[in-house]
Amino acid sequence: MRTFVFLIIVLISGAFAGTIHGVVNFVIVEPYLDQAIGIENQNLFASGEEKDTPEFWVEYEGYRVWQKSGQILAGTILGTSIGALFGIIFALSRNSLPGNNDVKKAVVLSGIMWFTLFLIPFLKYPANPPTVGDPETVILRSILYLSFIAISGFGALAFYKLSKKFQNNRKLVVLIGYGVFISVAFFAMPENPDEITAPMDLVNEFRIVSFLGVTSFWVSIGLILGFFWNRLGPHKETTTSYN
Amino acid sequence: MQINISKSGIPIFAIVLLAIVFVFGLFFVGYDQGHIFSIVLGEQAFEDLYIHELTHDMRHAAGFPCH
Ligand SMILES: [Zn+2]
Repeated sequence: MRTFVFLIIVLISGAFAGTIHGVVNFVIVEPYLDQAIGIENQNLFASGEEKDTPEFWVEYEGYRVWQKSGQILAGTILGTSIGALFGIIFALSRNSLPGNNDVKKAVVLSGIMWFTLFLIPFLKYPANPPTVGDPETVILRSILYLSFIAISGFGALAFYKLSKKFQNNRKLVVLIGYGVFISVAFFAMPENPDEITAPMDLVNEFRIVSFLGVTSFWVSIGLILGFFWNRLGPHKETTTSYN
Repeated sequence: MQINISKSGIPIFAIVLLAIVFVFGLFFVGYDQGHIFSIVLGEQAFEDLYIHELTHDMRHAAGFPCH
């Protein structure tokens, strides 16, 4: 394997796909974040915690600008991070993935990872706009969310490994095995403890745009890494000498 | 000369490097509450929450638990 080429294309693909995610969020998610934070500010005024003064708004604008501009940068960093994981798994599973070129293989893998690491956890613990979460429970919620992602990901991996022991119906073994396993986990895991006090319309619309944003990342990462892999073939050099 | 490579052809150090990028990036965007800057800034970092504020909107948008 041409390791340097491999590392570079993995990191660049992740950064690229993450930046797309950030830009998509900037356009479609930010309006909902503004709305939610607007409600939050009104609650602060109503409870007397903050006063509706020019000073308040100066400070508010100050950190909102920082937060908004962070959306795209954070997208690039998060994308590079998730892209690194994607790169590892793609390199390890490439020979078993269906498809006659690397774009198809990478898109298949990104679809599988989108499903197990994002969609299933999202259905259990959907994204929430500001004002919904109770700061007191953030550690608990983080542990629940991350555990469920790990359970789903390692579950899928375990059933894939297990299916190799079977002569035929391998796909069916994975699908049924993972399906039963994740359904049990889905109902066994505790619910998000927070009560939603924000308007439900806002929360639902926020979830839709959040879903679209993350999905744009997974589509991009598969296409971009697949494209680079096809062009540059980082696996080539050593596979010939090794086999 | 024998070159030791794993079956898939991906060297261990490349996997380790990418795994570090993965863990660090995920922590940075999803979970930091001042921890990273506290290495240089000390306790003050937990008050300032620069990274939290910077990654705050993505935290919500990407489904990480927040406030
Ligand atoms: Zn928040």
